[in-house]
Parts: sequence; C-alpha cells; structure tokens
Amino acid sequence: MTSGAPTGLSTTRGDLRRNFWRGVWRVLRRKPSRLLGVALMLMFVVMATAGPMLYQRPLPRDPDNFFAPPSLQHPFGTDFQGVDVLSLVVVGSRYVLLTAFITAVITVVLGTGIGLFAGFRRGRLDAVLMRITDINLTIPGLPILLVLSTVWQFASPWEMGLVLGLLGWGALARAVRSQTLSLRERGFIEAARGLGLSTPHIVFRELLPPIAPYIAMNLLMSLILAVWAQVGLFFLGVMPVIGENWGVMLNRAVFDFGAMTTAARLPYMLAPLLALLLLTVAIVLVVDAMDEVFNPRLREE
Amino acid sequence: MISGTGIVKTFRQRGDVLGKNEVKALRGVDFTIPEGGAISFIGESGCGKTTLGRIIAGLETHDEGEITIGGVAMSSLRTRAQQPHFRRIQLIHQDPYSALNPTRTVHQALHDPLKLRARETGRSSQWIYERAEELLGLVGLDPGYVLPRYPHQLSGGMRQRVVIARALTVDPDVLVADEAVSMIDVSLRLGILRLLRDLREQLGVSLLYITHDVATARYIGADGDMYVIYRGQVVESGPTETIINQPVHPYTQSLLSAIPVLYGVEQPGAEQVTPIDSLTTAAVGETVDDAGCLFAPRCPFRTERCTRERPVLGDAVPALQDAEGRVHACFHPIERQVAATSVQAP
Amino acid sequence: MTLATAAHAPEGGTTAPAVRIRDLTVVYKTPAGELPAVSEIDMDLPAGTITGLVGESGSGKSTLALSLLNAVQPPGRISSGTVEIDGLGDVVPLQGDKLRRVRGGQIGYVFQAAQNSLNPLKTVGKQLLDLGRSHDVDDLRALVSEAKELLGRMGLDGARVLDSYQHELSGGMRQRVGIMLALVLNAHVVVLDEPTTALDMITQANILEIIRNIHAERGLTTLVITHDIGVVAEVADQLAVMYGGRIVERGPVRSVLGEPRHPYTQGLIRAIPRLTGDIDQARALPGRPPTLGTIPERGCVFRDRCELRMSVCDTVEPVLERHADQLVACHAVAGQEPDGGAPTDDGQEQT
Repeated sequence: MTSGAPTGLSTTRGDLRRNFWRGVWRVLRRKPSRLLGVALMLMFVVMATAGPMLYQRPLPRDPDNFFAPPSLQHPFGTDFQGVDVLSLVVVGSRYVLLTAFITAVITVVLGTGIGLFAGFRRGRLDAVLMRITDINLTIPGLPILLVLSTVWQFASPWEMGLVLGLLGWGALARAVRSQTLSLRERGFIEAARGLGLSTPHIVFRELLPPIAPYIAMNLLMSLILAVWAQVGLFFLGVMPVIGENWGVMLNRAVFDFGAMTTAARLPYMLAPLLALLLLTVAIVLVVDAMDEVFNPRLREE
Repeated sequence: MISGTGIVKTFRQRGDVLGKNEVKALRGVDFTIPEGGAISFIGESGCGKTTLGRIIAGLETHDEGEITIGGVAMSSLRTRAQQPHFRRIQLIHQDPYSALNPTRTVHQALHDPLKLRARETGRSSQWIYERAEELLGLVGLDPGYVLPRYPHQLSGGMRQRVVIARALTVDPDVLVADEAVSMIDVSLRLGILRLLRDLREQLGVSLLYITHDVATARYIGADGDMYVIYRGQVVESGPTETIINQPVHPYTQSLLSAIPVLYGVEQPGAEQVTPIDSLTTAAVGETVDDAGCLFAPRCPFRTERCTRERPVLGDAVPALQDAEGRVHACFHPIERQVAATSVQAP
Repeated sequence: MTLATAAHAPEGGTTAPAVRIRDLTVVYKTPAGELPAVSEIDMDLPAGTITGLVGESGSGKSTLALSLLNAVQPPGRISSGTVEIDGLGDVVPLQGDKLRRVRGGQIGYVFQAAQNSLNPLKTVGKQLLDLGRSHDVDDLRALVSEAKELLGRMGLDGARVLDSYQHELSGGMRQRVGIMLALVLNAHVVVLDEPTTALDMITQANILEIIRNIHAERGLTTLVITHDIGVVAEVADQLAVMYGGRIVERGPVRSVLGEPRHPYTQGLIRAIPRLTGDIDQARALPGRPPTLGTIPERGCVFRDRCELRMSVCDTVEPVLERHADQLVACHAVAGQEPDGGAPTDDGQEQT
C-alpha cells in the first residue's frame, strides 16, 4: 500500500488502459476455448481483408479438372469450372464478413442509440421511439427482401448489410432501453446528475459502460445472424445467384450440381459449410468471454 | 442558509385522476438548515423523510411550498437556472454499493466532476489530480491505494468515504446524508459518522442527516435541531438534546422507546411509551385520512378531541410552543423520560 | 460447560432441545484453496434459551447458522465437527429426505431478509400448503388453523394474510410471516438470521417482542443472528461474539455487555452511539473486518485491529478460557488474570 506520488497520477489513464488489456488477456487465458475463438476470428478477418488479394482475377480455371477430388493442390477439390474451391471460399469470405460487419454495426449503433435515448429521456419521446421499435420488430424481413431483390442486385455487401441492419435493430433497442431504465434509478446516475455533469457525460461515461457487455454480446450474435441470413438468402435463391459468396456456392452445389447425391461433388458444398461452421463457433466462443471482459470484477478475479 | 416553507408532495399513480391512490408524502413541512449547522430528520420508513431530502437536494420536485437557497427563492427560477443552486447541496446515498459506478475506478469517479470544476474556475489539469488526492486524504483514505481501484475492490466503509469525497468535489454548502451508515459494517459506522462531523468542523459544511436511528442523529448533530416526521408532517422539532431528553409528542416518545436498550450498560427510560401496533390499526388508521391527528389511531394517549381536530405544528395555541425553540403538534403535550440512560458500572 | 440458567422455562410436556456444536469447521472453495469461514467452533445453545450471535459481515455467523440445518451451499462444505440436537443426534451426516424433514420440521429457519424470501407469485396460504405437503402433513386443515393462530398471536389477521401475496404485505408483516412459516411445523429449534435488518425502530421493537413472547410460550431454543448488539441486548439470554470465523467471547448477555473482556467486544460496544451521556464516549474501532481471503492462518484473528496486541498474538491462536461468567479468547485477557485458567497446554512452540 504505497502512497502514490502526485506525479504518478497523471499516468493513471495510461495505466487503466494497460490494466484493461491485461485483464482481457487474463479472461481469455482462463479458458483455452476463448483463445481458440479469438484465433479463428482473427483468421477470418485476415482471410476477408488480405485473402482476395492473394488470387488473380478472374480465378484461374483448370478446364481439365472439373470437380476434382481433394488433393494437396486443391484441398477442397475444384468446382464445375475447375476453379479451386478453397480460393472460392477465401474470395467469398469478404462479401460474407463485410456484410455481417456492416449489419452488426448498424444494428448496434441504432439499437444502442435509440435504446439509450428512449430509456434515459423517458416521456413522450420514449413512447414514440418504442412504437417505431415495435414496428421494426414486426416487419416481416423475408418478404421485404424478396421485394427488394427484384429491384436491387445486392451485388455490394454495403447494400446487403444496410438492409439487414435496418431490419434488425429492434430487439437490441428494447434490451438496451430496459437496461437503461433500471440503471438510471441507480445512485451513481443520480449522483452524476447532482454533481452537474452533462447529459452526454452521463450517457456515454456512466450508462454505457455497464451496458457494454450486453451490447458486445448483441454485436457478436447479430454477426452470426447476419452471416446466416445472407448466406441463407443466396442459398435459397431469393437473391440473384451471382457474385462471390458462400451462399452462392452452396446454392450452385446443391441445386445445380447435385452435391447431395453425388459424392464427388460433396467437397464443393462442404467447404463453405465448414467455413460457416468455424465462423459461428469462433463467435460463440468469443461471446463466452464478453461478460467477463467488460465487468471489472470478473476481469480482475 | 437553506430553508423550506410549506413543502407539499403528493405521489399520484399515472392516470389516477380522482386521486384514489394518491400518497401524501409531505403535508406542508418547514425546515431551516443554518450555515455550518447540522439538523436531522427522524422517522419511520415511509414517513416522507427521504422524499424531503431528495427535494432539498434537487432530485425531486415538490407540488407546493418554497425552497430558498442562500436567499434565492427557487420558485423564481427556471429549472435550468436552479441547477447551480441545488448543486451546492449534495446527497450521500444510503447504499454505497449502488452510488458508485461499478465499471469506473475511483480516479474516474473523482476526475470528471473535478474537471468540470477546473473548467469553471480556470484551473489547470494538475489541480485536478492534486485536489483528488487532497479530498481522499480529507475523508481518511490513502489516495495511492484507492485511486486506481474499482468500487468492488473496496469495503463498504471505504466506498462510502469515496462517495463523500465525490460529493466534496463541488465544494458543497450542505451534505444530505440519507441513512448514510445503515449498510456499513457496525465496527466501521462510527468512523463514517465521525468523518461527517469532522467535515462540518473543518470545512464548515452543513449537514442534513436523515435516519430512523435517533442515537446516530445525536452523534452527528447534538447541537443542532431535530425534526421528527410522521406521515409527512413534522410532529415535533427543536434542539436535539431537548427532543431526546424531554420529548412531548407521543410519537417521538414511541420512537425513543423503541430503541434497543443495552442492558448491562443502560437502563430503559422510566416512562417508556409503546405505540399501538401499526398492523392492528392498518385497516383504519394508516390509509384513511380523516380530520383528526395523524398519530391518533396509534396514540395510547388520544382523546376525543384528537380524532376530531388536527393539531398544527407551532400553531397560535400557546401550549404548542415553548421557550427552548421547540415546537410540537400535539393537544396533550406531556414531557416523558423515555430515553435509556447509562448505568454506572459498579 | 453450560453457562446458562434456563431463563425461559418451557411450559407443558415438550421440552426444548439443547444444541451442541463441537469442533465445527466450514470451508469455502476459492481459487486460493479451501478457506475456513468457520473454524473449530464449540458452542452450546442451552435448552430453552435465546442465544444471540453477533458478528459483522464476513464473520461467519450466517455460515454457522446454516450449519445447524446442514444447509451450507457449495462451494462451502462442513469439513469437520458435529452439530448435535437433542432428539435428533448429529445433523451433519444427515442427507436427502431425512435432512429435508428435519429442516422446517424440527429446526425452523427465518432467513435473512425474510422480507424478500417469499415467492412473489404465490399467496402465503399456498406456500404454507406447499410446506405442509413437502413434509407429509396429513391434516392440512389443522396446519392452516395453526398458522392462523400463530399469525393472530403476532397481531395479524391470519385469514387475510394467508390470502395475500408478498407485495401486499409490509416489511414487518413479511417478517412475521417468515416466523410463522418457521414455527408452523412445530419446530423447537429456531434460527433467526438478521430478523430486524431493514426494519425501522418501532417495527423492530414489535418483532423483538414477538420473538421473546413466542419463544417463552412455545418452549423453544432460539438462535438470533445479527450485527446489532442492541437487538441481542433486547432479546437474548446468552451472547456469543464472532470475529473472523471464531467465537471470541461468550457468556450471559448482561455480563458480556456490562463487562466485555475481549478487545473486539469492547470496541464494538464502545462504537455504539448512545442517546444520553457524553457523545464522545463513542469511539470508532480502527481497521476493518477481515474477509475470507484475509483471515490470518496463524495467531489471533483480531490482532491487526487490537490495542492490546502482543508478540504471542502473531503466532498462537488464543482459545476460549473462562473469566468469571464469560469465555474469552484473548492472550492479553488471559495474562491480566492469573486465575483465568492455564495458558494453552500445548506443544505449539514457535516454528
């Protein structure tokens, strides 16, 4: 219990940040599965950002080698044009992950913002925002996407992410609002108000951190939802079957080339499925650590 | 100086137009917090003492009456203009566990209000750090140990001290302590009470202490006034020692009689008063608001007049006021010795 | 060893059972290994008395009380010792159905914050019937009338309370319901954990009076656990003071309060502000109570806050020794009074 010198105090903020990351590392180390999750996530991020740059476009075809079985050269075989399936998965990951990321960001920003604002302000504004949220929750997403797909090609992940994000923020807004409602009655919020601290300070410094684990978990869960939603839409053929996307691969494999019945064509279907599975597992494993990462008590212990 | 006159607060349920479920939390309360003085509000849970404390700290609105802070009548100001005045009155919460944000360190908790203060007074950021250390030293904590820690790493007593230090960041004129020690370990309580007393001496800050525990109120402000509140009305007020040693209102006497006696060290007061059990009268007395004295349904000394007429605190009736600055709301004021006294050790 | 003169003689044929706790140790599993919350406690609850157990948070008082029901929850467990209750024998080895019957049936427990321990979705009457069924009570009608009588005894309208949900009752009423549920199956050992915390003074006085009266009427052996010495002073015959998982002093209430011997007991009593007399008589106890992780492994648990600390306190744990009416575990007190029993007869030299 050494008494801190005054000069030591100015570094407190830096110390805090360092302690936070040390705490995060401690939380991750607590279970090896979490480290695996983070490693997998990093792998997918690298795959989506740097991966497509590794391949020349269009992807090289091997016309003599349709649906080649897995080999060292083609770990997952080749597709109907003789294109390496692994390269298709890598190139397709960018669309999938970017869309998921955009969806998640829109969901979190809208959901958190609206939830915080409504819960903190209460009153008439709260009522209006919550009605809008209810409408958002009741919008039938699939029919809207069907209609939109007749107008839009969804060739860009931005379009896809925007639509999925705008359709999906309602649940988070509700959850954040109810959290805010219970937190704003807590002593520390009242104390902050009594001390004359500004509303932005109260909302972002006092309210947001305790809600952070919920938001982080929701962010990750909406990533999963966005991945499966878009892949599902392409797979079902709701969206035009063009572009580089795992859903497109699955659609072709199953509906055009009978991967379900022909053993030789199975790798073409299994490769994107495996990627989806690993991505989902990675997210689920990381979600497990979120509560502890954002809760100082759990982080330190 | 802070004073209030005729403070009325009624809680209504939403959509309750007819006022069927309204709760009269405060029925016209007057009080004065002298500069550098200490006063206490005493009463059972639900008597309105906490609501009054929150109104004084500007955390709750009132329906009628006037609060004057440093000579400025709050009703003359808009809500926004009231805020700087109410900021001079800081509330110390009962629960030190919820009064600190669990995700923020003590340093962060003190830094933000101090930064605001520094900006207002044009001080440097170095001052913020020095002031944070100074305040923690003032409340008896070791800054080097406490500053980088999160609330969960501190004991209840330390947390309450941090809460007090945080309230001091704005250089308040008044600290409102609402049951400030009830959630703290017994061996540490007196330390917090002592701290509040010391702060009053050292900084000249006034104290408003809200509690159901008369003995702690005496410890904090033996030289100040005590206000005994029953169902939203002050039934007796005056100098603390007078109220404890010569109470005249049967409710005050009941409250004092209910305090556990440390047999072996103390002996019970000679004329203890046991109120009629509130639960047996709940059906008649507590919910119906008839014309009589509010305490009459539970009062062992009530007369026919008490059920008909309501006594008013320090009314024109001369019997209701006596020389020592004590006022009471009772038609039959009789001094009774109810407080426990020490037994001299053999 | 029994210090008591049974102050409240039980009436009628049923005699209150005595409880004997011997060498009881309860440990909690933590990342730092198994740490004792209660260490090697010997204590008697003499038949027909009210014993007050005083301690701060983390002193192990609630853990000790739960041990009477053999209800310590994981990560805690009773690692050694016995809890013998007259007519039941040792409850520590009891398990499963048998244990369940003993709880509630012979030992009644009023939980800490009984105000919040009722099921919010069921009426009190429904919960009473559940309790009856789980203890195979044949005559539920009699159970209900017994409950009504008990509630009536405590100043409540029994029929109305049984039809009420938790939220329709005030704090004092819920506490009474808690006492009723603990007693309705005719338990004769009753444990009340913080029976008046969060109640205001007048309600507290009412509840304490009820505890006293019911105790005398029904011939009970009662244990009241609290952090408030005043509460114990009002109701108990015997007082035990716990600190850091040990009993540091016990004896008849008035002797302990009037002439406390252990420095901790002295400090606690001195730290209570009084209504009369010199205000500055009240003085704070320095330091803070230990937590599970900071209880020292060797020596006296209180030494860090003790004015009378000696070098022996660092290494040898004091044992309870008789001083007049009281048992005190303190080296300094043992040294003051040469007649106070021999120093520890041990081979525990300093290592």
